[in-house]
Amino acid sequence: MNLLHDKKFASIENVQQGLKNAEYICSKKIATTVYLAYHLEKPILVEGPAGVGKTELAKTAAAFLGVSLIRMQCYEGLDESKALYEWKYGKQLLYTQMLKDKLNDVLKGAKGLSASIDKLHQYNDIFFSRSFLEPRPLLKALQQKDGAVLLIDEIDKSDNEFEAFLLEILSDFQVSVPEIDTIRAETKPFVFLTSNNTRELSEALKRRCLHLFIPLPDPELEREIIRIRVPGISEKLRIQLVSFIQHLRELDLKKIPSISETIDWARVLLLLHADKLSADLISETLHIILKFEGDIKIAEEHLYEMTRKAIKEAAI
Amino acid sequence: MEQILKDFISALRSSGARISIPETIDAMNTVKLTGYHDREVFKDSLSAVLAKSFHEKEIFEECFYKFFSFDTFPENTGDCPESLAPEIMEEISPLSQMILSGNLGGLAASIREAAQEVHITGIRFFTQKGLYIHRILRHMGMDKLKLDVKHLFQQDTFYSKQMAEELEKGKDYLFENVKDFVEQQFALFSPSVTENLLEDYLKSIKLSNLEQRDFHRMHSIIQKMVKRLNDLHSRRRKTSKRGQLDFRKTLRNNISYQGLLFDIQWKKKKVDRPDIVAICDVSRSVETVARFLLLFLYSLNKSLARIRTFIFCSNLIEVTHIFDEYPVEEALVKLQSGIGLGILLGRTDYGQAFRDFEESRFHLITKKTTILILGDARNNYGDSQTGILKSMHERGKRLIWLNSEPRSFWGIGDSEMKKYLPYCHLARECNTVHHLERVVDSLLSLES
Repeated sequence: MNLLHDKKFASIENVQQGLKNAEYICSKKIATTVYLAYHLEKPILVEGPAGVGKTELAKTAAAFLGVSLIRMQCYEGLDESKALYEWKYGKQLLYTQMLKDKLNDVLKGAKGLSASIDKLHQYNDIFFSRSFLEPRPLLKALQQKDGAVLLIDEIDKSDNEFEAFLLEILSDFQVSVPEIDTIRAETKPFVFLTSNNTRELSEALKRRCLHLFIPLPDPELEREIIRIRVPGISEKLRIQLVSFIQHLRELDLKKIPSISETIDWARVLLLLHADKLSADLISETLHIILKFEGDIKIAEEHLYEMTRKAIKEAAI
Repeated sequence: MEQILKDFISALRSSGARISIPETIDAMNTVKLTGYHDREVFKDSLSAVLAKSFHEKEIFEECFYKFFSFDTFPENTGDCPESLAPEIMEEISPLSQMILSGNLGGLAASIREAAQEVHITGIRFFTQKGLYIHRILRHMGMDKLKLDVKHLFQQDTFYSKQMAEELEKGKDYLFENVKDFVEQQFALFSPSVTENLLEDYLKSIKLSNLEQRDFHRMHSIIQKMVKRLNDLHSRRRKTSKRGQLDFRKTLRNNISYQGLLFDIQWKKKKVDRPDIVAICDVSRSVETVARFLLLFLYSLNKSLARIRTFIFCSNLIEVTHIFDEYPVEEALVKLQSGIGLGILLGRTDYGQAFRDFEESRFHLITKKTTILILGDARNNYGDSQTGILKSMHERGKRLIWLNSEPRSFWGIGDSEMKKYLPYCHLARECNTVHHLERVVDSLLSLES
């Protein structure tokens, strides 16, 4: 992969610009980490509040590199057969049925049981070969010739055992399939792991990754994001909207609105042909940014004050 | 650069971030990649490689600013005399020259150099500060500087006197700066050692002698302990119970192999988490210990699913919901003041407490329950109600009594401990964190 994309990763600025061209506005910190991960050939563990664009980063990286994105969603009870590989049992069964007649030919001339078994042994690897292997996301990522971006989403939702199982793949980019051999990556995939911090990840896993914490964006960055993602929106509304969201985040809410909610809201306002914020407009569309009844009530109490502030700030 | 990076990493380690050797190697490679011209990039890239959680990021930020702050000497000593006599300048030591010519950058660099020579990174205790200041100064050539001052005074000309005074001033100033520098290094390299010492000390000190200001540290010690115990025991249980064939599941899973059983499924027996009823005395006689016992119960409450907590003094109330609802400090203040909870903070009455428990909460005790009683058993000569304790003992799985007094005091004065003793599966003296840890360990291991 290195030889293919060295140009894109020549400098941190290049990475930042490249991600921007793929409609992902990121801080220099994110660009630096991606740049490092590429050159050190290490996975990135991305943490941060929900909806700040952790998954999006991986998707954009795939677009930036021009390779396919292979995504694995983690959940409790996820195991090897779903993540790595499985034997195609059905196909194996079908083939043995179909080849039943051939068996006679093969065994022809063999006398006694042990001779037959010896003869069969000459063919024993046929049914456990690569053509009967069903690759799951992890194996698929290793098999891609041009490299791939592997996204292991919400790793904190998986079990401890699965995390331990990931270690081999993340450090050496290889997996062992007992019946065949160790399969090594042809081109090392670019790996992103995301976590919402519902549980502490193991030291061993963290040690193998670069760590990136994406916080909620500052106003300037958020305005830029909205400008790129929702192009039709008017300048004035964009500034007012971001300012309002920033104030909203200071309240004591159960679920603080994140970037994805800001983008959704901007799209809705665009659909409603709004060109500036007003208290009525906000209270009608508040349910798009806030997802809990309690939160909406709290926000409504401060609605006028916050709207006033947002409009005032935007005027400066 | 490598040396500086190593020093920085040891500074991070001593502030509590855990950094392994592979990560150190990564850091070296990173610096090779990104270089160190751009401070922001340098910081971000090291942060990605070294700090692997939100908490560690905070430590990292703080350390980074402390470590890579540039301590140039502030403009100081007034103007150096313009009429420097060149012939004198040649005679005096390099250090004196630097002071006289106002070479501040050179001074700062020479402090750093001297500091590295005397291994400042080995500083651990505040009592070592003086020693290190002295060593650094000597390494920089303080002795020669003093000699220069002496000679200049002896020469007794106008210029030499002026220069001597200037040097005197410069000397004091230098001392101040070295002192600051050592302070800063101390702040960087010592905390973990001091912290560890303090933690060890706190673990073995009697709970009643602990002071309010150590409360936070204590809380974190106890949390660590509870977490460790919990991890240890919950893991052991997982692997120890397997091995019964789950026939139905096996059949279902093997249909696709024409009913041949080659993917065999085992039944895993689900193991109960410890089921605990904790009863804690909060009267005045155990007031100081109670604070920490409650703290302990609080942590236990957070990590074990099935625990019911009661406190009593003159009567008994349930406080499980308080632990669930409030953050630790608020909860403890609430419990100790007892306001709005319906607890009477009069004379301690174990008899009444047991009666209250029997009346309303006796159904909580099943044959799986472990009963944990924390108290000194000093009953003010009241009715001891050993009968109820006996039935609790019979009905529950285990009854554990943690007494804050040493064993030799049991049964002396109004202590009813001797009477209660026959009905306890385990009675222990418990007044340090070490005691607590041992008790909980046995509690959990016997549970499984």
